[in-house]
Amino acid sequence: MKPGVWHRLDVIARGLLPAFSVFVLLLINLLPVSLPLLSTASPSLALMAVFYWSVNRPDLLTALTAFFLGLLQDLLMGLPLGVSSLVLLLVQTGSASQGRFFHNKSFSVMWWGFALVAIPALLVQWLLSSALIGALLPIKATLISYVLTSLLFPLVAWGLARAQNSLLRYI
Amino acid sequence: MAQHGGPQQRIFSPLRTALHRFAFILLIFSAFGLMLLGKADTVLIERIRAASADLVSPVMNIVSRPASSINEITDKAYNLAHLYEENERLRRENLQLLAWQQAARNLSHENARLRELAHYTTPPSLHLVTSRVIADMGGAYAHSLMISAGSRDGVIKGQAVIADEGLVGRIAEAGYQASRVLLITDINSRVPVIVENSRDRAFVSGDNTTRPLLTFLTADATVAPGDRILTSGHGGAFPPGIPVGVVSSVSENAVRIAPLFRRHQLEYLRVANYGLHGILSEQRIRQSQAPSNTDATNLAPDIPAGVGVVPKQSEIDAHKPMFKPPAPEGDRP
Repeated sequence: MKPGVWHRLDVIARGLLPAFSVFVLLLINLLPVSLPLLSTASPSLALMAVFYWSVNRPDLLTALTAFFLGLLQDLLMGLPLGVSSLVLLLVQTGSASQGRFFHNKSFSVMWWGFALVAIPALLVQWLLSSALIGALLPIKATLISYVLTSLLFPLVAWGLARAQNSLLRYI
Repeated sequence: MAQHGGPQQRIFSPLRTALHRFAFILLIFSAFGLMLLGKADTVLIERIRAASADLVSPVMNIVSRPASSINEITDKAYNLAHLYEENERLRRENLQLLAWQQAARNLSHENARLRELAHYTTPPSLHLVTSRVIADMGGAYAHSLMISAGSRDGVIKGQAVIADEGLVGRIAEAGYQASRVLLITDINSRVPVIVENSRDRAFVSGDNTTRPLLTFLTADATVAPGDRILTSGHGGAFPPGIPVGVVSSVSENAVRIAPLFRRHQLEYLRVANYGLHGILSEQRIRQSQAPSNTDATNLAPDIPAGVGVVPKQSEIDAHKPMFKPPAPEGDRP
């Protein structure tokens, strides 16, 4: 049986889910929250999602997508242009090539993996941002951001896993 | 989706890997290219940033409403718990404020009379645009907010953004219906200020911490913790006299101030259109030419008449009080 137009459109729409989920998380990151801690350093939700999808479905979140999502993050958050693109691109490529390692392992292994990947990712972001701004940014905020990012990873990964199981099971 | 097996796979598989590797390297280079572009062509990048803010603002405008209503509920619960103390505090404050009101009335009458006597020209009137905070780019790398007002509402890059308590920042990019506000705590922010009591001039320079620095203070300046810091209005960017913060710590190498606003509680902000367009207008920077007046400073070539222009020596002499050195006794006829 030849798949119809609607079926193909459906597959394409579902295939866009990973990129769309990163976009939604970017917007969530932008929401004004009335917690004093979160206004000085926020968790990098996009980083979590890019890692999750690169490990689980690298075919649906390619390097090019990661690059453009990073560009969007820089534009929206007023960061020096190109830094997030580079970071997300490196995370995507690195995690996609090591994705096999995490398959059929418990979730805690993936959590540890993410906590390890997030260190160089945030360090590169901090170093390049500092270099481009021309002054050393306070490392404390980056540290808080790292702790929040690695602690909140299970929550985001759980949500993404739910979406993956319900929408991407057959494609 | 992938096609399995067959001779096609054998031919295309290495080609595809090579292509992937090439694409990866290309993307790395484009990332560095973007960094250079961001450094070199700020006007283009600003337009793209403003456009991207416009793009997400309709969504953020709706999504940020539930978030702020949740905040309201937590606020209400907190207020209910502290109702009695708050009431007592407000009573005391009200007594103080009534005394201040009397003082302010007297002073305002006196001020009006003195202005009449001195032929004082009033500064341009302030036009305010009120808007809602729809996004907070909270993060370790940039301190900025997004507000739901843009060029549609008369917001221009460089204008001052004020909360009830005091200065919050300035417009970094103005889109059509949304703009980005650079907070005074951001590392790229510099605000010309004066110390309220001593009238010493300085700059408030952000460094991405919650306590920005007071820089370019003169050596003989007297600053103590608790001093209020106001905008000076120099450069024509900000209206003068807006409270910026309170000096929080003075040490040998740094004076830090505590901003008056609390970032996580910002909800409605006002954009001050001072009618001077600020010193940051791209158009004015591009159109600027060397001033024809040779005595003028080169800082801002087309600032309004009488501001920042060094008067000619003849003018100074004309305004000097008539004071002649006493003639020696012997020369008197």
